[in-house]
Amino acid sequence: MHVTENSGSPTGELTYALRKVCKRYGDGTAAVHALRDVDLEVKPAEMLVLLGPSGSGKSTLLNIMGGLDRATSGEVWFGNENLASMNDDALTQYRRKRVGFIFQFYNLIPSLTARENVELVNEIADDPLPAAEALELVGLGGRLDHFPAQLSGGEQQRVAVARAIAKRPAIMLCDEPTGALDVRTGVRVLEALVEVNQRFGSTMLLVTHNADVARLGDRVVRFLDGRIRSIEPNSRRAAPSDLEW
Amino acid sequence: MRVLDRKVLRDLWRMRINVVAIVLVLGCGVAILVMAVGMRGSLERTRLNYYAAYKMADLAVSLVRAPTSTANALAAIPGVSSVETRVSGLALLDLPGVREPASAHLVSLPRIGRPSVNDLSLAKGRWPDPDRADEVLVNEALATANGFQLGDELAATLHGQRHTLHIVGVANSPEFVFVTAPGEIFPQQDRFGVLWMGEEALARAYDLEGAFNNAVFRLSPEAVPERVKRAIDGVLAPYGSAGAYDRNRMPSDRFLTEELGQLATMAAFLPTFFIVIAAFLVNISLTRIIAAERSNIGLLKAFGYSDRTVAAHYAKGALLMAVGATAFGSVAGWLLGRMMASVYQEYYRFPRLEFEASAGVYASALGIAVACAIAGSLTAVIAAVRLAPAAALAPPPPTSFGSNSAMLRSFSSRLDAKSRIILRRIVRFPRRSATTVIGISLAIAVLVLAGTFPAVMDRLMHVNFTEANRQDVSLSFVDAREIGVVHPVMNLPGVILVEPGRADRVIVHHAGKSVEETLIGLLPDARLSRLVDARLEVVQPPVTGIALARALAEKLNASPGDLLEIEQTSGRRLITHARVATIVDPMVGASAYMEIDALARLMREPGRITSVNVRFDAAQYDRFNTAIKEAPALAGASFINLAERSMRENFDRGVGVMNFIYLSFASVMAGGVAFSAARITLAEQERDLATLRVLGFTRLEVSYVLVGELAALGLLAVVPGVIEGTLIGEWLMKLFSNDLYSFPYVFNAAGYAVAIGFALGCVATAAMLVRTGIDRLDMVGVLKARD
Repeated sequence: MHVTENSGSPTGELTYALRKVCKRYGDGTAAVHALRDVDLEVKPAEMLVLLGPSGSGKSTLLNIMGGLDRATSGEVWFGNENLASMNDDALTQYRRKRVGFIFQFYNLIPSLTARENVELVNEIADDPLPAAEALELVGLGGRLDHFPAQLSGGEQQRVAVARAIAKRPAIMLCDEPTGALDVRTGVRVLEALVEVNQRFGSTMLLVTHNADVARLGDRVVRFLDGRIRSIEPNSRRAAPSDLEW
Repeated sequence: MRVLDRKVLRDLWRMRINVVAIVLVLGCGVAILVMAVGMRGSLERTRLNYYAAYKMADLAVSLVRAPTSTANALAAIPGVSSVETRVSGLALLDLPGVREPASAHLVSLPRIGRPSVNDLSLAKGRWPDPDRADEVLVNEALATANGFQLGDELAATLHGQRHTLHIVGVANSPEFVFVTAPGEIFPQQDRFGVLWMGEEALARAYDLEGAFNNAVFRLSPEAVPERVKRAIDGVLAPYGSAGAYDRNRMPSDRFLTEELGQLATMAAFLPTFFIVIAAFLVNISLTRIIAAERSNIGLLKAFGYSDRTVAAHYAKGALLMAVGATAFGSVAGWLLGRMMASVYQEYYRFPRLEFEASAGVYASALGIAVACAIAGSLTAVIAAVRLAPAAALAPPPPTSFGSNSAMLRSFSSRLDAKSRIILRRIVRFPRRSATTVIGISLAIAVLVLAGTFPAVMDRLMHVNFTEANRQDVSLSFVDAREIGVVHPVMNLPGVILVEPGRADRVIVHHAGKSVEETLIGLLPDARLSRLVDARLEVVQPPVTGIALARALAEKLNASPGDLLEIEQTSGRRLITHARVATIVDPMVGASAYMEIDALARLMREPGRITSVNVRFDAAQYDRFNTAIKEAPALAGASFINLAERSMRENFDRGVGVMNFIYLSFASVMAGGVAFSAARITLAEQERDLATLRVLGFTRLEVSYVLVGELAALGLLAVVPGVIEGTLIGEWLMKLFSNDLYSFPYVFNAAGYAVAIGFALGCVATAAMLVRTGIDRLDMVGVLKARD
């Protein structure tokens, strides 16, 4: 894995430390600023909710923190590594070893069963959770050998959660994980995420445009027009079953 | 332009790489069609026009000697529109700067005017002066091959006397479009030619003054050839006539007919083959492209466009591709046709052989291309327009991979997840996988064929020149000689071994069928000229009865034990009988064979031979040649090394052009199939591949999923490709076999290896090109999009 210079690492006890992160698409008059001077610190095992209307920059930030995209300027420290200065191979390794992703549209491989979708990731992880155990955790112990086409949307998303946690990631990045789901199934998925967060101590970043879902987080980061408008701690984290949307 | 039409153009542009692949593959089919059908038509038409314009004989007859006055009786035969009586003979030539003696067919020209039958087309120079005995025209092939200039001198031995002849012109004749020495199968344009000279001079040289020994006839349209032949035979019987015969026994026309037959086979087979493949590819590509247009189709229908309009919209795209393919294929076919025509022009001496495909050929090419494209897009368009707009607008339901057999499950459980993805996709989409496999396998098959032709030629040459004819030279005599003639030959410089040979031109009759062939006398346990069959075994000539080549036996419907009637075509026109002893499978020629003494006895000429086969010391090459150039009794000298070289050159050029065409098209096909399969696979899997990248798989690992699928399909295509190539090859060799050659199917391991390697190389190149798409995968974008 690519390791950047240790000196000057600003994270200390933090998981992430972001300094003046900008993301610009295009140049000149056609330039679109997706993120402007974002500073953010994320603590270990924290459940951080990124909230904002669509186009506010929250997903762009998540993608940059997940190593899927690069900041145009600024620093993105993960421990003592600056993602902004990593090359492509190093970013691949970062995703491979550290990050678990969950997407709005599940992104399962249709030709692999639930168990195999999880095993797919286990093949490249260092100390993975057995696939059956990961699926058991999300309540799918009985559907191990079903293909995605044989599972409901909520079940597919829970397979995606199991796939993400199986590698025991330091970070879980969830982009609108309930966006395509109804309330009942959405709650089950969120329960799985909270369970993982509490049981494994993974730092969790959850992107949503749903203010109710934001009640799950330790802190809520509000986005508007590519900037962080506010960061507020929740005095009490809500349980998924208390949510409505 | 309507918006929908603009969409057609933009869609084509967006899919331009797939469009180019389809246009190229379909265009190849069109090009082959235009080339093969056009070439056949051009040759047929050129032959017909040439024969008509230069009065090709309908009938011919050879005889010993008839007075010139007999011509009137011949001209008076009902049905004869014109007759030309001639003096003709063979002569040895001593060409300047050529070590070996060459030979020529000499034909007389009338004293006044041009020949009324078998006229000449003068390519260069002028007609010989009837009052000059030493002026000749030479055929263009011989002149070109030897670089003769007007005014050059030739030394010729005519009837035992040496003459010096001057070339005053170069000509072609419909009688000699294809020139071979008597009894030879392979043309040697530099070693055997035709000389035309004044009738009186030639008659003097052959002791035929006031007489003729050959006549050619044109018939009137209403003539009944059989009746005319009988009348001619009646008039000429007292003069040693060998019997009148029609065009199918005239060597040049017979060769041309054989060649046109092969071309017809090719014109029927090759375009069909390529067009079927093209239709197939168009179907694969269009089905996938239109399947990807599902939501757009739903949208158009939601707006209120009728099914018919939507179907027509997609059909238009297919039509445009068909038009593009026809344009490309027509130009390519025309260019290939011209290339083929220039190759043919070297074999066949037409005054002008121009490739010309009729408007009908291009029109049918367009029709076939359009039919191909429509058929290719039909199923996909129908499936798409049948969907209700709402269903079409909704994303397609996720593909179910649920129903795998137990065997497959147990096999896939042993694979890693990436290989499992590959296996499941192949099994889940059997039709799609099968079409890719079949496409690649057909490309392998074409390449196997391309490798087979040279191997077959090599085998044929090996058998003919190394196993069967092991002499250095065959010397043929003007007429049958006593066996004692071998002694003076033994005394020629450098001679090591001499064996007698005998060949008689005969007509074999059986079961109401008659075939003119050569009856060859072979020496038992011969060391030089032997009969070797397709299995490379030496066949001993039967002492009693006749061995028939299989092709001849089939024509005569004869089997061992059958009694044949044998009619000599020259000399005394003896009629005799012999039984079929056995059927043999020679690779060259379709002759009949007997033990040499038995043949001489059958022909009532015991102890007489017509040729000798000679092996001599290569160090004495020039001394040997100098000696035979002077030999008066020789009608020809056939050098094996020269024949082999000439045949090799002919084949290399002919087979070379064909193989070039085969190879180009096979590459386009293999590349086209592989490339379009790769592109579409990438498009279909883009989301999955991007997901794998997001999950932390490296580019190499993700490439494996894409390239692995293509590699697996490519490997799966090897066995069917080899089987298809072999079966088609065997079938083609049977089709191409004729009176002159019997082509065995030769298994050429190297050719197979090259075919497989080349096709898989195309697949690998396509996969590598498409693989770069993985480097450009939009991980963020793909994850935002719905399935």
